[in-house]
Amino acid sequence: MKNTIKMLNKSLLASSIAMLLSSGVAVAKSDDFHKLYQDNCASCHGSDHGGYLAPALNSATLKGRSPTSLRTIVMAGSFDTLMPPFYGKLSDDEIRGVIKHLQETPKQPNPAWTIDDMKKSLKVYVKDESTLPAKPTFQIDDKFENLIGVAARGKYGRGEGSKAIFINSSTHQKVGEVPTGTAAHIIDFNPANPRWAYVKTDTAEIFKVDLYSMQAVRSIKTGWNGPGMGVSRDGKYIMAGSFVPHNAVILNADTLEPLKTFELEGTDPDGKHVSSDSGMIIGTPYADIFAIALENAGQVWVIDLNKEGFPVTRIENVGRHLHDAFLTHGGKKLMIASYDDSIVAAIDLEKREIIKKLEAGCVPHVGGGSAVKVDGRTLGFGTNFGDCDKTVVSVWDLDKMEVVKQVPVSGGTESPAAHANAPYVAVDIISKDRRARTVQLIDKKTLEVARTLDVGGHAYFPEYSADGKFLYISAGYNGDEVVVYDSNTLQKVASVPMESPAGIFSRGRVKYMTRGLSPDEMEQSK
Amino acid sequence: MKMTHFIVSLLAGLLAAGSAQATSLYVGQAKAGAVCAQCHGIRMPSADAPFPPLGGRDPEYLKTAIKQYRDKTRKSDIMNAIAGSLTDAEINDIAAYYGSVKP
Repeated sequence: MKNTIKMLNKSLLASSIAMLLSSGVAVAKSDDFHKLYQDNCASCHGSDHGGYLAPALNSATLKGRSPTSLRTIVMAGSFDTLMPPFYGKLSDDEIRGVIKHLQETPKQPNPAWTIDDMKKSLKVYVKDESTLPAKPTFQIDDKFENLIGVAARGKYGRGEGSKAIFINSSTHQKVGEVPTGTAAHIIDFNPANPRWAYVKTDTAEIFKVDLYSMQAVRSIKTGWNGPGMGVSRDGKYIMAGSFVPHNAVILNADTLEPLKTFELEGTDPDGKHVSSDSGMIIGTPYADIFAIALENAGQVWVIDLNKEGFPVTRIENVGRHLHDAFLTHGGKKLMIASYDDSIVAAIDLEKREIIKKLEAGCVPHVGGGSAVKVDGRTLGFGTNFGDCDKTVVSVWDLDKMEVVKQVPVSGGTESPAAHANAPYVAVDIISKDRRARTVQLIDKKTLEVARTLDVGGHAYFPEYSADGKFLYISAGYNGDEVVVYDSNTLQKVASVPMESPAGIFSRGRVKYMTRGLSPDEMEQSK
Repeated sequence: MKMTHFIVSLLAGLLAAGSAQATSLYVGQAKAGAVCAQCHGIRMPSADAPFPPLGGRDPEYLKTAIKQYRDKTRKSDIMNAIAGSLTDAEINDIAAYYGSVKP
């Protein structure tokens, strides 16, 4: 019987090969191109064809575009963007085929990824965690603070180059690499247990990483696309949110098992009921809650973790197209950026209401945000894409909740870095020309640009080491290295090569809550 | 006497100009970043890329190869197109830059 099946399979295989050969790629089914799109393009362009880090590719957005020019972009890549050259990776027929497929395919309506899909995707790489080493297996300080994680995207946003890379920030030596399959986007450290970190990819997988042995112990796919992730202050829960589909999930941080999903929808500031992408998700040191931004609905939801069923408090009308945020006042206040209103809204997480909306330049993207104490004032720093003419970094007095200054910088910015012990707030200039190579340093006291560093590549995501002695900067997709500077002299001290590095995450973040604050700030949360 | 002096200084000037013209790693890096790195990487191509590494290769070999691609004596549709617009000076700078890189 077995033999017959084998025979049958063999003949089936043979005939399918014959069919494939005779039919050729020319008549390859649209299913194949759907798969080809999902396997090569969707991690950046969105599984629903609606765009994500990269533009939407569907029948509406590509209408009237010349297939020849699209083919050139796919083959050669797009200079000064993340778009890699697919020449040699995809055949000419595949490239022509996928372009035709995209020009015929409408944006998909919110493809589902349910809690059951998540459960099925759970992978366990280390069954018995008690077999893991009790201490770090590499040289690092006793407090395990001088650890920096870099989200290396890999040239193609997937493959061997995609990994989370960890560096000892006092020696600038690589101490571990965790392959992530697709581009790593966010690294969060467990605030309660130093050994665990969580890495989220652009295809919404979350890896639980044992930092002591530098390996993934578990992973789960929480959606199709989306970087949103936060860890609760007790280290027991993770919340993850997706762009595709429009949902979020709370996971058990230990097992990564999904506990509850949330459909993200609500009434937007214009009164329309909309389904929404997930923006930032953040845990706070002052309470057992998560805050999540609903990008399109313009709402912030506060979720109580120690109440039955994880109830949601909705804060509406926060701003149009919310994205990222940072905490202040011991984690009781949240500063959240609205792209379309060009404001940062200050939210009181205790009272669960909006305090004030502050001017924030033009298309604010605060990255992880930064806050520093200067001459008795706590100043918040907010970067912005600056898609209009105004390229400034906003500085707010976080106690008075008012704008102190809008510091002119040389271009659009994406992420500010600060440290209590470092004299400068670093901002990455992302304007797509020679300025993209640079990072500007704003003097904390004078609030003026004091220096411009020519980092090379597409320099972005600056981050100080936990002790504030070194400034780490990703040279991005045109640089393929992380460059390290002395925070005071601004002399280049090291380079760590890797493929398309992006976000840099110091383990110091769990100590400072928001970059630039001193650990004393955390006391306010108690 | 005056003439000799003139010739000597002319020669010195030519030599100086010559060495300034020779190669510039900085210009090479910028040109490599704009033309080559998309596929071949700044140091190394992507682990997933089907392209050969250029970093650490012999500059003379690189110069010869790029010129052959430019002059179409070595065939490759994509390389003939990309190298087609490069000048000798640019090729020298690019080759010197990649030759100087430790892979």
